[in-house]
This record gives sequence, structure tokens and C-alpha cells, in this order.
Amino acid sequence: MKTLRLMTVGGAIAYRALFNWTTPGMFVGTLLVGPLFQLLFFAYLGRQLQVADDRFYIVGNAVLTASLACVFGGTMAVANERRFGTLGHVLLSPRSRTAIFWGRVIPYAGNGLLIAVVTLAVGALLLGLRIPLGALPGLFLAMAAGSLACGFFGLTLGALGLRFRDVWVVSNVSVALLLLLTGVNVPAANLPGWMVTVGHFLPITHAAEAARRLAAGDGMAAAAPALGQELLVGAGYAVAAVALLKIFEVESRRRASLDAL
Amino acid sequence: MNVLRLLVVGTLLHAKQISRSPFEVAIALVVPVVQATLAVHLFRAGGEQHRLLEAAVGAGVMGVWSSVLFGSGGAIQNQRWQGTLEMIMLAPRRPVLVILPITIATGVTGIYALLATLLWGRFLYGIRLDFAHPAAFVVAAVVCVIALGMFGLLLAATFVLMRNANALANTLEYPVWLVSGMLVPITVLPSWTGPLAAVLPTTWGARALREATSGGPVWPSLTICLGISLLCLALGGFALTYVERRARAAATLALA
Repeated sequence: MKTLRLMTVGGAIAYRALFNWTTPGMFVGTLLVGPLFQLLFFAYLGRQLQVADDRFYIVGNAVLTASLACVFGGTMAVANERRFGTLGHVLLSPRSRTAIFWGRVIPYAGNGLLIAVVTLAVGALLLGLRIPLGALPGLFLAMAAGSLACGFFGLTLGALGLRFRDVWVVSNVSVALLLLLTGVNVPAANLPGWMVTVGHFLPITHAAEAARRLAAGDGMAAAAPALGQELLVGAGYAVAAVALLKIFEVESRRRASLDAL
Repeated sequence: MNVLRLLVVGTLLHAKQISRSPFEVAIALVVPVVQATLAVHLFRAGGEQHRLLEAAVGAGVMGVWSSVLFGSGGAIQNQRWQGTLEMIMLAPRRPVLVILPITIATGVTGIYALLATLLWGRFLYGIRLDFAHPAAFVVAAVVCVIALGMFGLLLAATFVLMRNANALANTLEYPVWLVSGMLVPITVLPSWTGPLAAVLPTTWGARALREATSGGPVWPSLTICLGISLLCLALGGFALTYVERRARAAATLALA
């Protein structure tokens, strides 16, 4: 119970602290309007090239929009502590760092989920996509799984920030690669085999597949395997993040390079 | 002559400065190539193999716009953070002549995206660089970069007035890619986007490069692009003078 409290309260405080610079205008511009135009860009490109139908692009890109907030949020959860000189205080805590850092991911995942829901709703309204009402709970689950997996993926990248100086390069490139490798914009059948294989180990790929099945009215049974795979990918990154954090923490203490930027 | 020298030396100086940032270099190296790969696979999936060169050029122009948008949008803010804004404003030249090289430098940096996407397409995907008007393509690329640099000056001058300039920059990347027809033809967009596209220099710059690639009247598009950009330069110059005077009067030049 105490660990759960640490994760939720600690995560909420850290989220507020790291986002203290933001304003409603910045939030709406960066996290709601920008991703919506990303969806529209690929939907119109898909229409023009007739690669796939509107549902493919609207649902896939809506799920993908969560990645911006979640990947950068997860990265910030570790990297900004170091940048602001507070990482040492966190690592001095007598509580489990695993719980502390996992707790950091939850608000960012919630943020990503909000973005994905808003983008899907507005995108579907603007482009005239009808989604069966019965599919909505499942879609919510798929977007939540994708957001959580992206958050842990970002935390893994953030952990690399304990070792490498400029982790933001890795985050920016990773977000760009998600556009290409997750099959959200190019159907997997049209991508080279190695890209599809890499995509299977990335967040969003399976969540987008599950969401598309649900939006097509295939039902939860058809979407469940992909949903399970997305959760598995997320769990993999959660474990990888904790392992990397542990390794780099020990290494940083040994080399006295914890706060070296 | 002195003014030209100031612009050229200033542009080279700022382009060199940008090239010293590992972050800027890494992003400029990788992201346009990812965009080009995405465009190539999308065009292939759509059975448009004959338009792959067009896709690579379009992805390159997208890179130029990203560079101008983020570089120019934050040009004044960056100088402020580096503590060099006061020195720039104290220079015995009009502010527009001192800031313009910064915004053109962001366009020059962005031209890497165009080169990278073309080379990437040539060597990885075997796209033949058969331009309909090769000489016009080179001229169009140079004019497009200078024109976008002038447009960048307007962005730099107006963004500094806004508290949420970062949000605006983040928001403007995809809409301009979309409305300017860099990859998606303007004809498939809703009709109300037409007037918006017509007043953006990016639309005409992208069109000139596309026409030089696949055939068409390059020069009219390029002339319109340059005309709109000169107008942006004039507006940006006025805005910059206004911002500078207001900041000096209120003693807020160095304040974020």
C-alpha cells in the first residue's frame, strides 16, 4: 500500500514539478493541435496515395500521438532530475527507486492517453469516421496500453541519460522512428522485413493493430492478442528501464559522475 | 557592398555556430532521412514508383521548413539565452540586418535535409536523380532557402512577442507541410485551405522545386515565392524595429 502511495503521490508531484513551466496555451499547441495536424497530414497523404483507408490512418495516428508526451515525459522523468541537479536527492531516498521511477511514468501515460483520445475524437469528427459505440471501451484500453508502453520506453531512454550526455537526441530520433517502424503510416506488408521485426519490439505497433481491429468492429476477442503483446512490450521496457537505472546508478556512484553534465 | 558583406559573413558565422551543436547536427542528420524513408515506402505502397524522386524532394523541403521554423522562431530567444542579444542590438546596424543572417543560416542548415534525402534515395533506394530542369533545380533550391530565411525573419520578430512561441512553433510544423503541398497535393485538401496556401512562401518554394524535378514552369512559382518572402522581410523588419524600441524603452531586452 505504501509503495502504491509512493508511486501515485510521488509521480503526481514530479509531474507537476517538471511541468511547472507549461501553460494551457503551450499544452494545447504542442500536445493537442500539433498531433492532430500530424494525423490530418498522414490521413490526406494516405487518401491521395490510396495506400489504406481513412480508418487505418485515423486510428493508427491517434494511438501514435500518445508517443510524443509519453516518450519525452519518460525521458524527462530521469534526464531533467540530472539537469536540474536533483538526481542525487532522489537516489539518496531510502525508498525503492523502482517504485519512484515507475510512478513517474503513470502521469505521463495518462497525459498520452488524454492526447490520443482527443486526437481520435477530433480526427474522426473532422474526417467523418464512424466508430462503433461498443468498440469505445476496447479502444480506450488499447490507447492506455500504448501510452503506458511508450512511457516505459521513454523511461528506458531516460535511463540512458545517466550514461550519455545528450539523451534528447535519442528521444527525438526515437519519436521520428516510431512514425516509420510501427506500421502506423505504412502498412506492415509494404515495409521491409527487418523494419517489421524491429517494429514488433517497439511500443504502439501492437496497440495500433488492436485499435484498428476494434474500430473495424472485430470485437475484443480479435484485438486481445495484439493488446496482450503491447502490454508485454511495455512490461519489457519497464524491466529494462529499472535494470539500466540500477546499472548506471552504481556506475555513476563508482565514477563520481552522477551530476556531471 | 558593405551590407552584402555583412549578410554573407553573418550567415556563414551563424551557420558555423549551428554546426557546432551536436544536438542540431544529429537531428539534422537523422530526422530528414527517416522522413524520406517514410515517404519512399508510402509512395511505393501506393504504386507511385515513378514519383519517388518527387517524394525525396518533398521530404527534403519538409526538413528545410523544420529547420527554419525552429531555428528562426527561436533565433532571438536563443541570443537572449546566450547573453548576446544586447550586443547584437547595440551593433551600429539596423536590427533587421543583424538578425537576417541568423534566419538565413537556419535555411542554409536546412538545405542539408534536401541533399541528404536526395543522396539517401539515390544510394539506398536507387532513385535516379533525373531532374526535368537540373539547373533550375539548383537555382530554385538556393532561392528557396534565402526566401525561407526571409520568412524566418518575420517568424523571429513575431515569435518574440509571444509568451508561447515554442507552442506555436511545435504547432506549425505539420500544418505548413500539409497546406504547402510538400508531399500531399493541395488539390486533395479542403478548398478553404487554398487561400492559406497561396500566401505562404513555402507553397511556392515547394512547387518550384517540384516543377524543376518533374517538369513545369519553375520561374513563375519561384518569382512568387521570392515576392512573398520580400514582403515578409519588410514586415519582419518593421516588427523587429518595433520590438527593439519597445524592449529598450521598457528595459526588458535581456528578460525572457
